[in-house]
Amino acid sequence: MTDEQPRTISRRALLRGAGVAGAAAAASAVGVSAEPGIAPTPAPAPPGMQPAGAAAPGRVVYEQLSADEADLLEAIADQLIPEDEHGPGAVAAGAVVYIDRALGGALSGSREAYRGGLAAFERYCRSSRGAPFRDLSHVDQVSALIDVETGAATGARTGFAGSSGAFFGMVRSHVLQGTFGDPYYGGNRNFIGWDLIKYPGVRTAVSPGLQTALEAGELEPNHRSAYDADNFEKAVVSNARKETHHGD
Amino acid sequence: MRALHGIATLCLGLGLSLSADPANAQPAPRSILVESPVLTSGDAMPRVYTPDGRNLSPPLTWSNLPDGTREIAVLCSDFGAGNPPPWVHWIIYGIPATANGLPEGLPILPETSMPPELSGAIQGLNGWRRPYYRGPAPPAGTPHIYHFTVYALDQPLGLEPGLDRQDLLRAMQGHILGQGELVPVYTRF
Repeated sequence: MTDEQPRTISRRALLRGAGVAGAAAAASAVGVSAEPGIAPTPAPAPPGMQPAGAAAPGRVVYEQLSADEADLLEAIADQLIPEDEHGPGAVAAGAVVYIDRALGGALSGSREAYRGGLAAFERYCRSSRGAPFRDLSHVDQVSALIDVETGAATGARTGFAGSSGAFFGMVRSHVLQGTFGDPYYGGNRNFIGWDLIKYPGVRTAVSPGLQTALEAGELEPNHRSAYDADNFEKAVVSNARKETHHGD
Repeated sequence: MRALHGIATLCLGLGLSLSADPANAQPAPRSILVESPVLTSGDAMPRVYTPDGRNLSPPLTWSNLPDGTREIAVLCSDFGAGNPPPWVHWIIYGIPATANGLPEGLPILPETSMPPELSGAIQGLNGWRRPYYRGPAPPAGTPHIYHFTVYALDQPLGLEPGLDRQDLLRAMQGHILGQGELVPVYTRF
């Protein structure tokens, strides 16, 4: 069998597993400083950590992830929710940007799990398939991810802390959050995720006409963050300064 | 390894698996010779057929099919794992009787078709509830035995996708003309 297979449509299976009904609220508990629809602001790289954008002008500058980590995480996200005939995927939606920003805030407790897990995953790909993940064929990338997901990569002298399946579950969950969560948190860029699942957006008031359109599947997306509504307040957490605005 | 080889040889000599398959309750099925260019009963599986390698499905061949064989099915089971055992690594059914084996690396992607010589064959659900091969990943230092079992059936069963081992064994009951095994081992370090 050849390795050069067409890209799989893992998206639909993944969406079924995620439960699209709750996707819009997937990131509701996460507070980071990125604004919706705004390109992330470059930040100084911590000592010993090379920002991804440093080597490739014009690219997104990651704040928490190293260049290698960001590249690998983008490649994984691209397999989980690829661009296909249904539209752009997780990478275009900025899911990795979301993760990067969140690792500096509400998901900071997962930073070491990412650091160790991504390194272990790369070691696993090299030892089992003979090349870094990004250099593998599509089918070998899928195969490696299956082995990580099922826990088969655990104990393969790669250094996963605990089950490789736990690492996969964490990444999958965060990619979903970054693709389908409210754009306020740095992902779902240009409402790509919501358009993908045909989520028309938050309405704070629903008229009979809107309700009829919704039930007929004809409600046009409003492409607004929940936090664009005046009656929603924002909890802002940033690395440099923690402050909470709470007006309700 | 020598002891394991002895166990495997004994099983093959009897033409039986170590399982309590319903198939064993039928009249003694004729023994099918199951071989592989890469696997040998009692010997270690190459890494490429495990998650320590590319985790490809291994090539198999079979011969000495009973007269009247109309369809073939293949299972790969580890009777030293699973709760209850066995843990199923692979399941294929609906294989045409004209096929004399399985090539290496059957599809894991849903869009990828089976090779033409296996037209109509379906990969059922393994222990992970996935419709493709996943190779041995036993606990480090513990050798496990893997039964690649080939069944010759007396009629096409017309089975739907999505069957697991129990479903398949139930469907095959009363239709097994012959069976045979290849029983390699794998140890993870």
